[in-house]
Amino acid sequence: MSKRKDKEKVFEIKWKTDLPYRYSIGKLAVKFFEELKNNKKILGSKCPKCGKVHFPPRGVCADCLVEMTLDDMVDLSPRGTLAGFTVVNYPFVDPNTGGMRPFPYGYAIFKLDGADTYTMHFLDEIDHTKMRVGQRVEAVFKEERQGNIDDIPYFRIIKEEE
Amino acid sequence: MPKNDVAVVGIGQTKFRSKRRDVNIPEMIYEAAKMALDDAKIEPKDIDAIIIGNMDHFEGINFSELWCGIDAAPGYLKPVVKVATGGTTGSSLAICGYYNVASGIYNKVLVIGWEKLNEGGATTGIITAFDPVWERPSLAGALGPLALMANTYAAKYGITPEQAAKVTVKNRSNAANNPFAHLQMPNITVDYVMSSQMISYPLRLHDCCPQSEGACAIIYANEEETKKVTDNPAWIQSVATAHYYTFGTDTIMFDLPSAAIASKEAYRKAGIKDPVKDLDVAEIYEPTSWSELSWTESLGFCKSGEGGKILDEGITQMGGELPVNPSGGVLSTNPIGATALVRVAEAAIQVMGRGGKRQVPDVEKALSMGFGGSLWTEILILGKEPKR
Amino acid sequence: MDKVAIVGVAQTKYEAEKIDQTYMELVFEVVKKLHNDLGITNDDVGSVITSSNDFNDGRTIANMAIQDAVGTVGKSESRVSGDGAFAYVYAAMRILSGEYDTVMVVSHCKCSEVNQYLVNNTIFDPYYQRHLGLDQISSAGLMANMYMTKYGFTEEQAANVVVKNRKNALNNPYAHLRKEVTLDEVLNSPMMAYPLKELEFPPFSDGAVAMLLTNKELASKFTDNPVWLKGYANCTDAYYLGHRTMTDLIGLELAAKEAYKMAGINDPVKNLDVAEVYDAFSVHELMSYEALGFCNKGEGGKFLDSGETQMGGNIPVNPSGGVLSSNPTMANGLIRLAEVALQIMGKAGKRQIADSKLGLANGMNGICSQGNCVLIFGGE
Repeated sequence: MSKRKDKEKVFEIKWKTDLPYRYSIGKLAVKFFEELKNNKKILGSKCPKCGKVHFPPRGVCADCLVEMTLDDMVDLSPRGTLAGFTVVNYPFVDPNTGGMRPFPYGYAIFKLDGADTYTMHFLDEIDHTKMRVGQRVEAVFKEERQGNIDDIPYFRIIKEEE
Repeated sequence: MPKNDVAVVGIGQTKFRSKRRDVNIPEMIYEAAKMALDDAKIEPKDIDAIIIGNMDHFEGINFSELWCGIDAAPGYLKPVVKVATGGTTGSSLAICGYYNVASGIYNKVLVIGWEKLNEGGATTGIITAFDPVWERPSLAGALGPLALMANTYAAKYGITPEQAAKVTVKNRSNAANNPFAHLQMPNITVDYVMSSQMISYPLRLHDCCPQSEGACAIIYANEEETKKVTDNPAWIQSVATAHYYTFGTDTIMFDLPSAAIASKEAYRKAGIKDPVKDLDVAEIYEPTSWSELSWTESLGFCKSGEGGKILDEGITQMGGELPVNPSGGVLSTNPIGATALVRVAEAAIQVMGRGGKRQVPDVEKALSMGFGGSLWTEILILGKEPKR
Repeated sequence: MDKVAIVGVAQTKYEAEKIDQTYMELVFEVVKKLHNDLGITNDDVGSVITSSNDFNDGRTIANMAIQDAVGTVGKSESRVSGDGAFAYVYAAMRILSGEYDTVMVVSHCKCSEVNQYLVNNTIFDPYYQRHLGLDQISSAGLMANMYMTKYGFTEEQAANVVVKNRKNALNNPYAHLRKEVTLDEVLNSPMMAYPLKELEFPPFSDGAVAMLLTNKELASKFTDNPVWLKGYANCTDAYYLGHRTMTDLIGLELAAKEAYKMAGINDPVKNLDVAEVYDAFSVHELMSYEALGFCNKGEGGKFLDSGETQMGGNIPVNPSGGVLSSNPTMANGLIRLAEVALQIMGKAGKRQIADSKLGLANGMNGICSQGNCVLIFGGE
């Protein structure tokens, strides 16, 4: 053991640095988070040319190469349909925190009612036998919201009985 | 009509390993560069330009080409350019090098792809490829989305984990014939794959590619220079690239639309009407076993949903009508910045008949594929004859 | 050389902080401008080459963020990780290969999202140099000091480069810094890395630039004044600062010689009508005069004093204001090209040099001109 450690000392240099970034999120994201925080609403953006509703909202419709502005934002349902799922079960360093991300966690791709694009987010289920493509899912909102994506910590599977 | 025909005249690869503790970055790259130069019997000073790339964040070195292109390759006082496009880096390098020569600007170009990714964190780095607001908080590197793709593909067509496991068995036993491959497992079984740990449902550990360190180098030359150095080149018959939405998961991803678009274009330019008949071998980019099943469909090797079928029928096995990944593919070797370039190198090796134990007999045309980014695809078709 | 032309150019206003725009929106602004100016749609663009830097954008595969904005769903896009001038060269190669009729080149950069000194420090290798905390400022100081020791120049000569370029920027509606500075203001600004003072370094800017390239057959469809590539060369100097001749820009010199040969230029000051030169710091422009053959070695300061590089001189250098007035780092080289193209097209407005028929632009990668790309453009 110690022989290996000695070898590593000789052959390796460690380098660690913080490289903080201030990302511009754009006007549409600002509006999205305001509505999320204040009104528990989920907004998408609709292309003025082709009518495609994008979630997450963004400034450009890629199909038309046309701008989407604040005026093009539309309400979306907090409910959607599961199109695919997985349970992430391996360790890695989360670049957002610099620490390890806790696992396992459920992760899904789904389409919100009213949106034309799919999106991915956490799912509050870690048993893949309980998940099925086609299940209905619903956003879970935090009671105390800050105005970031964590205000929807995860989506939950709507049980059949509900 | 292209201005100049372009051929691969020299190839170098390092033996890919999980960790290359014995060399630093330039030393590792030099191994591949020297091998390619020796292979082509071209003097370092006679190289006109260096195109070199990796994924910056994995090693934490900015403008790595200005260091490695000079210290590990004959780039001093020459053009040194970096092309870096994520998983497709290797194929983007190959395509850039191709245009360097096809344009007539340079005659002999050295293209190098490399990665020493265990010096940094690959998954962590990959997460930063995605949108910081919407995607990063939940994204689980490359395997998260790939698991979702496998899940939706399986749900749509009823593909089973056994069928996926057979891909790993095929590729990692193929790798045993490839002296450069990282994971060589001649005795691997379906049970072995299916009893490995579940990493991200439905992906098990052995459904996923490894993380490898190493470098790959190829040398391109135009027609005139090719004649001087070899009578057994591999000609680039067509190249095609198709990109996709920034949010690659805007559309449901049980197949790879960019692969369908790029391959159609590449086939058209290379005069390929039926890929299974007209191609003799394919080196495709399969980050997971499920990917190979799905993407052989997108590449037009079979109808949608039949990726498992053509594997079961032996079409994509060694000895089949269109062997896929005789080198072992990405499931056996994955030095990310080099991976797609290794596909080009292996396709060239097949065309040149230098594949040794992994050689597919009588290769006239070979396909190589790169994949990465927000679900992009790049295709290069190589062949015994030049384009024109 | 076969013909490849720039037929249209678009730039954003360069600013300290474009905080209200994502990269997608920043790039879309300049792409839309280019499309509208040329009267084209995305279908008219065969392929796209972009330039960006992962460390600067804080995003691995930085070009992934802008796919929608450059219209490459289902189309070909590739990225040169480095200065935009090198992306132009790759795009030109695609045209010259005959496989594409039109290629769009886009370069974007926001310096406002990350500490530029930290980002620059990551260029240095982690074994020997990075721990020294080297960056573009300290390296520039070293270079200026060694150049001064060998050839001598006065503080005033260096400072007058800044005065000249900042004055020129008043004519450039896109420039970031559009306020003159006096010689005294430059000389009295705080010392940053001896002998260079704060105002001898560029600002940090956000911005993007785009251009459309096409071949001989189609150029007249887009414009009456296509800008043809006449000469090109790319030369990379050694990596370690200690391996280089820090008193002369060797890489730039060799690249210029080769580009001149290709373009048939034997007297650059006489033959060229305008030059957009990468002025990473004040003394860098003086050294560039020498490397580009505008004057003899060691006489860069004298050449500035002669007035030849002023707007009315024989070889106006940086009518746009140069990097010293606008510095979105990765885009700088492509901006130099865009400005020369505007000059040759006769579209440079108040900063127009009359009868610009032949111009030089250069792009730079790395520290202190390690990677150099010299391009000569002509109207015929």
